[in-house]
Amino acid sequence: MQEIKSYLAPRSLDEAVKAMAAGDVTVFCGGTDLTPQTDSGAKRYGATLMNIRRIEGLSGIAEAGDSIRIGAATTVTEVRRDPLIARAAPILAEAAEHFASDQIRNAASLGGNICNASPAGDMINPLLVLDAAVELASWADGALRTRSVPLENFFTGPRRHVKRPDELLTAIVFRKPATDFVGWFRKSGPRPALEISTVSVGIGGNLSDGVFRNVRVAMGSVAPTPLRAHGVEAALEGRPLDADSIRAAVAAADADATPIDDVRASAWYRKHLVKVFTEEVLNHVLGN
Amino acid sequence: MDQKVTAPTIEKKTLIGQRVKKPDAPDKAIGKTRYINDMVLPQMLIGKVLFAGRPHARIVSIDTAAAERLPGVHAVLTGKDAAGLRFGFVRDNAALKDKVRCEHDEIAAVAAESEEIARQAIGLIEVVYEDLPGVFTPEDGAREDAPQIHDNFPGNKSLYFEFSHGEVAAAEADSDFVVDNVFRPHHVTHCCMGTSCAIADFDHNGKLTIWTQTQYPYNYKMDLAPALGLQPGDIRVIQPPVGGAFGSKLDVYPYEPIAALLAKRTGRPVKVIYSREEEFKASPTRQPAIIHMRTGCTRDGTLTFRTADVLLDNGAYTSWGPTIPVIMMRTVSGHYRVPVVDFKAQAIYTNNPYAGSFRGYGNVQTTWATAQQMDMLADMVDMEPLAFHLKNSQVSGEITPQKSFLRECVLVECLETAAGASDYSRKRKEYAAARAEPGRYKKGIGLASSIHNAGGAKIHKSDGIGTILKVDDYARVTVITGASEIGQGIDAVITLIVAEELGVPLEHVLIVNNDSDIAPWDVGVHASRTTFIAGNGTRRAARKAKAQILAAAEKMLGEPADTLELRGGSVVRDACGTPLIKLDRLLRQMHFQAEPELVMVTDYYEPKSEPEGAKHVSDHSAAYSHAVHVAEITVDTLTGEITVDKITMAQDVGRVINRMGLEAQIEGGLAIGLGYALSENMLLDRGLLKNPCFRDYKLLTAPEMPPLDLHFIESDCAEGPYGAKGISELPTIVIAPAIANALYNATGVRVFDPPMSPEKVARAIDAQRQAAGG
Ligand SMILES: Cc1cc2nc3c(=O)[nH]c(=O)nc-3n(C[C@H](O)[C@H](O)[C@H](O)COP(=O)(O)OP(=O)(O)OC[C@H]3O[C@@H](n4cnc5c(N)ncnc54)[C@H](O)[C@@H]3O)c2cc1C
Repeated sequence: MQEIKSYLAPRSLDEAVKAMAAGDVTVFCGGTDLTPQTDSGAKRYGATLMNIRRIEGLSGIAEAGDSIRIGAATTVTEVRRDPLIARAAPILAEAAEHFASDQIRNAASLGGNICNASPAGDMINPLLVLDAAVELASWADGALRTRSVPLENFFTGPRRHVKRPDELLTAIVFRKPATDFVGWFRKSGPRPALEISTVSVGIGGNLSDGVFRNVRVAMGSVAPTPLRAHGVEAALEGRPLDADSIRAAVAAADADATPIDDVRASAWYRKHLVKVFTEEVLNHVLGN
Repeated sequence: MDQKVTAPTIEKKTLIGQRVKKPDAPDKAIGKTRYINDMVLPQMLIGKVLFAGRPHARIVSIDTAAAERLPGVHAVLTGKDAAGLRFGFVRDNAALKDKVRCEHDEIAAVAAESEEIARQAIGLIEVVYEDLPGVFTPEDGAREDAPQIHDNFPGNKSLYFEFSHGEVAAAEADSDFVVDNVFRPHHVTHCCMGTSCAIADFDHNGKLTIWTQTQYPYNYKMDLAPALGLQPGDIRVIQPPVGGAFGSKLDVYPYEPIAALLAKRTGRPVKVIYSREEEFKASPTRQPAIIHMRTGCTRDGTLTFRTADVLLDNGAYTSWGPTIPVIMMRTVSGHYRVPVVDFKAQAIYTNNPYAGSFRGYGNVQTTWATAQQMDMLADMVDMEPLAFHLKNSQVSGEITPQKSFLRECVLVECLETAAGASDYSRKRKEYAAARAEPGRYKKGIGLASSIHNAGGAKIHKSDGIGTILKVDDYARVTVITGASEIGQGIDAVITLIVAEELGVPLEHVLIVNNDSDIAPWDVGVHASRTTFIAGNGTRRAARKAKAQILAAAEKMLGEPADTLELRGGSVVRDACGTPLIKLDRLLRQMHFQAEPELVMVTDYYEPKSEPEGAKHVSDHSAAYSHAVHVAEITVDTLTGEITVDKITMAQDVGRVINRMGLEAQIEGGLAIGLGYALSENMLLDRGLLKNPCFRDYKLLTAPEMPPLDLHFIESDCAEGPYGAKGISELPTIVIAPAIANALYNATGVRVFDPPMSPEKVARAIDAQRQAAGG
């Protein structure tokens, strides 16, 4: 283990990003990914360990115009219990419901889930379905800089993303879904509780007059990054949601998913589940 | 004067069958218990081990110079320092190795001022290996051209066992149906909450004190001594509270002599403690097996014969794992009435991790096979499945081909109770009929039973226990007993029995059982034996004390001893409960009289069982018992997920002693059995463990525990304390095949290699669909 030279717990965003601009900082939020990864040697701490949970404004869920903004340090428990999320984006609450255990949910943050960039990240999946963007903040030339990146463009490979080391993820923002938005999330693993997803599927879109539009489909653990399944989206977009389109979507899911064999499951089983879940989620959306 | 002092009478009340809490429960619940893992001794150093991390290799060179130079390092040891100090049943193991035979082989060890320094020092040791071709299955190990793992075990042959009774060919000719399958029970591990830990310290006379988690402190000395070049008598074993054992601490494992060798070299106490990853890799496993089993019966449902040809993956060294045939053959020959039996088991060395003993020892693997074959035959014969089981059930007084004497046998009652309470026969028929109907979710019900030793198992020369009991001037009782407490609850049982016999409050009983220099012999916590053996020992000792006390009371009170009793802290008239004198007062009078006496008794109890013997024909346990489990499940035929909806269980417990402890043991045993059945699996890839963490090694968690309907059948065992039998392994043994049978009932699919993970079940159902052409 590398020695941590200093520990920071800034109250303000400026302080935090200034420290990050100055050098080798490891951001620590809930620590539920960081701790096991540094313990096992997969990751090393930087010289400065920075706890971001005391930064004002970094957690909480709020409406901002026609958008919903979730602070990066907001925990999975907060998402799970939030009335606004329950009303406006139940797909996110559903993912929170099936996330780890109470102890982990109380610590795990949404920002941590995204920055960890695991293809199995359970909060990422519904956020892709909601077409969320992330806000990144940094300090340059004596000022706070922010940029917004669509979540779909955030991931570049296994555990890799476009966020620079000096950038802090501050918030996740998505447009409040219209009233005809329908969506659902399904994940699975070999035991019901406390499970890392073997596979997850999230699907959402606007369903009116029996026609499915603006369809977005996300899949977890079937590719090097969390995946937008464009083939499935195409199979559903602008078509009536019925047995035929569901069949086409299942066939497309088979093509979109490119999983590997690992200790958690074989590629065969992951493909199999992706098809089962695609059908199941669409049937759920249809109310079958 | 009696008329004036009308003390209230004290009624006769028994504690047997009541719910009594474990004496250590409050401290454990609030976090006050100091486990061995928490212990710190003055001057203590931390020991760390360098593991090979490869399955089979020659050690070309080891350079420890940089590690030795690191400030804070006190000793660096390698295989040279353990040369000639071989240990293990067949002396094939050493604390530090001269060759690599499995991933977790201990190559070097360091003692340093802190964990960090020790870890750093381990990183500075340079080893050059020359990798050798490995052996990763027993089939491969048995091939003529297989790489040799030990020079002195040609053909990689480890232990071999056989037993046969009757003529198989003739019995087979008489059979109308024969089932023939290969079962492959897998590698799982104990997952104790407290990881492996030992602290060693030498005094200047060369005597070793070792604080360890062992569950067999007396033979442990004998087994540890050769690893250190010591006399067993020069070892003192202290057992602080442990976070679980389940069989994993029934042998000496290398970290223990490593701690001692480091302590010897440095002259300071040394503690070795494993991280969770090290624990997964280095602690023993359950013995995997390849069981080729055949069972026959006639059209009218009478079993005719059973054969088992077993190949065991010995792993790199020989601990308890490859001795499981001793119990496997009892199940093959004794699970239901089997007139003709043929059993063979060969263990083959491989470069895999090696197995120790684990709750259900050998019987988990065997019942996985026998109970599934009973279910298969039940579908072939022309009778109700339950009737088929009943027809082949043994009854009281029967003797198995291996001479297990089933003195009290209530298998029939267990079957009728579990099947009746779960409505087994009706549901089994209904679910089987619904199999072909459309629908994603299928219900299934499965029944399994087994037999297990319930009065110890005389695999050593003695299966006995020593007890010393004293009652002090304040009527506080101290029981000094060989019986170890590893979480199973013997402390509560001993307390309950003493309170029952001597009429003292439970809180007035103290147990001393964690120091081999103080407590007398016991063979250890294994074979579901401790309540049976230590229960008998405690009761006998308490009764001796009681006889002494009542004899003194007779002298003092002038009433015959056989009309007196000890109740509620007093001597009372047995018939009416009238108290005559407080017990503590009586004890002081005994002590301070002209011919003083103290109450201090000893007892040695040896159960009336026969030594196992080389031929395996002996009544090796003082009692046997049965359990029947009925599992009700729902299968998601698309994802392959099995949800266990309910377990109904009927078990012969002889007599309930501590009801709360009994329930806890059954529930805990079931949890281990359920994990084995559904999710736990050590994923080995050419000898390397791929999932050494709880993220990927799937223990079941609390929400997955199904509702339980437990029925305790009291057969009143003549040899057992108050009629009790040993109980704690059967719950682990029987549940997996009950679920396998339920899976078949639901889907028509059978899994022969546990766990029945979602992926495996989904694949089997998919294969079945493909075969059916859809
Ligand atoms: C037992 C267990 C069960 C789990 N189950 C699940 C599960 O069911 N589903 C699932 O998806 N995950 C699961 N996880 C993984 C983990 O809990 C989640 O990924 C969690 O959301 C991580 O959040 P955190 O706040 O703990 O992140 P941390 O561990 O604090 O951080 C993770 C990484 O992100 C960086 N980081 C964190 N926040 C920011 C930020 N605002 N800006 C820039 N960088 C940042 C950190 O530096 C670190 O590299 C589980 C973990 C454990 C230990």
